[in-house]
Amino acid sequence: MSAPVLSADRVTKSFWLGKREIPILRGIDLQVAPGEMVALLGASGAGKSTLLHVLGLLDAPTGGAVNYDGRPVHDLSVVERARLRHQHVGFVFQFYHLIPELTALQNVTLARMMQCSVLQYWRERGAVRTAATTLLDEVGLGQRLQHRPAELSGGERQRVAIARALLAQPRVILADEPTGNLDSDTANGVMDLLFRINRERQLAFLLVTHNEEVARRCHRTVRLKDGVVVG
Amino acid sequence: MYRPFLALRYLLSRPINLLGVLGVSLGVWAMIVVVSIFSGFLRVVGEHVRSASADVSVLQLEDARYGELRRAIEADENVAATAPRLVHYGLLHRPDESPPPPPLLGRGALQGGDTPFLFLLGVDPERERATTGFAGWLQAVDGERRVADAEHPFARIDGLPVVVLGEDRMIAGGLHRGDRVVLHTGRLERGADGGRALVQVTRRDAAGNAISPVFAVAGAYRTQHVGYDGNNAFVHIDELRALLDLPADAVQEIAVKVVDRATTAATAERVARTVRRLQGYGNVTESRGGPVALSWRERHQAFLDSVEWQRGLMKLVLIIIMAAAVLLMVATLSMMVTEKTADIGILTALGGSPRGVMTVFLSCGLAITIVGIALGLIGGSLSAVYLDEFRRFVRAISGIDLFPVKVYNLDRVPHELDPWWMLQVAGIALLVGAVVSALPAWRAARHDPLVSLRGS
Repeated sequence: MSAPVLSADRVTKSFWLGKREIPILRGIDLQVAPGEMVALLGASGAGKSTLLHVLGLLDAPTGGAVNYDGRPVHDLSVVERARLRHQHVGFVFQFYHLIPELTALQNVTLARMMQCSVLQYWRERGAVRTAATTLLDEVGLGQRLQHRPAELSGGERQRVAIARALLAQPRVILADEPTGNLDSDTANGVMDLLFRINRERQLAFLLVTHNEEVARRCHRTVRLKDGVVVG
Repeated sequence: MYRPFLALRYLLSRPINLLGVLGVSLGVWAMIVVVSIFSGFLRVVGEHVRSASADVSVLQLEDARYGELRRAIEADENVAATAPRLVHYGLLHRPDESPPPPPLLGRGALQGGDTPFLFLLGVDPERERATTGFAGWLQAVDGERRVADAEHPFARIDGLPVVVLGEDRMIAGGLHRGDRVVLHTGRLERGADGGRALVQVTRRDAAGNAISPVFAVAGAYRTQHVGYDGNNAFVHIDELRALLDLPADAVQEIAVKVVDRATTAATAERVARTVRRLQGYGNVTESRGGPVALSWRERHQAFLDSVEWQRGLMKLVLIIIMAAAVLLMVATLSMMVTEKTADIGILTALGGSPRGVMTVFLSCGLAITIVGIALGLIGGSLSAVYLDEFRRFVRAISGIDLFPVKVYNLDRVPHELDPWWMLQVAGIALLVGAVVSALPAWRAARHDPLVSLRGS
């Protein structure tokens, strides 16, 4: 059996309020296999987003280990974590987080720009634009390439964010309530897209959601309560 | 790649950034224009002073004889000619007027001609012509005030010795060629008790009465040096010697013309050594007092230094103003960082490092600075070059003269663009811009991306 694309080994995370320690994650063990779609369920304050940030190397764990493809990555330098975050993980957030000054196409190509020098990007720009256009076409925005976020609906913005997450060809997508800000019809459309991507690309997903129905469609569900995996 | 790309997008999408560009370019513009005018003014004033001065002046001569000194000085390989001078002082007025009151304190230093006091320079016209711009000063006057015979400017009129006045003074006094003027002056004489007393200088009239000497106005001269013409009048050196009872060869100053102007200062030093040796003094550094030889620049050093000092002070003030103008950029960049906290979060999630985020905002600040510097340099250079045209235009449409150049005896607003100064301005602006950009950029780099990712 291949190593989990992403795993947490007794991960703890605490915040400090003055001299008082507030534990958020209390020894999380979690594995996400290649191509697996895992739903992360839990009430507000259970630690879902914090776990996602720790697993995505946006935040450092207080204790335990985070492994990518079996390799510990939690104690790497800031620069190495940034590079690995780009190569290994794609993020999809509830609030899309697109750059408002950029068009849909530019928002997607930005993901590639993050790791290229000016010269390198100049040489690759044709291929990068083609890949970004293909991805936007794949998420149903082939006609909206030159639109800025303000000119797109909520669902369209989330599709741009999904295309952006896919461009760097990550090993796993970390999605933090990707439909939490959408109406139910649009949310269903976005979820269908995510499941299709998972199926067609065999891409691993760790999906934070409150929606039990969405969770049931995933391969596996992990429930968090007060910073502990309860099921 | 994302750093310059995003920086450019942020800059172009936020018109308020123009405020930062405007601040930098205004600061640079002011530094270029004002210092260019000061430099031009300094150059022109230097030229004017130079045109009214001998290359080297031998001063503080006592009981000196020109013939002996001339031979020694002209033996120097870099000396082309010399001219003897006597320097006296006095009050000039019309015969039918009372002597004017003494000048008010603080007046007359700039324009000249507005105080009755003046220096009376006794010169040898032939030698003066060969040594200084004397001939040109006479030729510079047009019309009825011009000396009738420039070859013999001190030819007597109706048997009277003549005086050549500065044109400013001649106009101010309402004088015409041939008019009579009375000279009131004095000299120190040793009395019977051995002490020195100021005695009025007089002549004897036909009846043997002591009267103040009378001169006829031969005409006017004009130099470009503000203040010189109004405060100096020329008479023939022999007339002044006779008036002051000085020996035929007596001299108080010697004007020296050099061959190679590039070595004027060195020539002045050699001349000083020669004259001091002949007069029985040691080197200037060895003994105080006695004759000195000064280059034209040394002689007017205090005046030229005062203009230079004003220019230096102005530079300092302008640098401070520019730094304040550049601070406008801090405000706009800080606003940008505050607005872009959500972007900082997503850039980090996409693989951006704190240093990368910092570079984005630092690039914005540097781009604003560089564009501002470029516009300021171009605008400043064009403004300096065409300032006089602008002045004429404003005067033509409004009657207001923004820069009354005649006050300084100038034809146009002077300017001198100094590439080294422009480079310094650009360097200072870039340095200040980089420092003030670094503050908001550093704040952006320290921003916790999770706050913005959670915050929306």
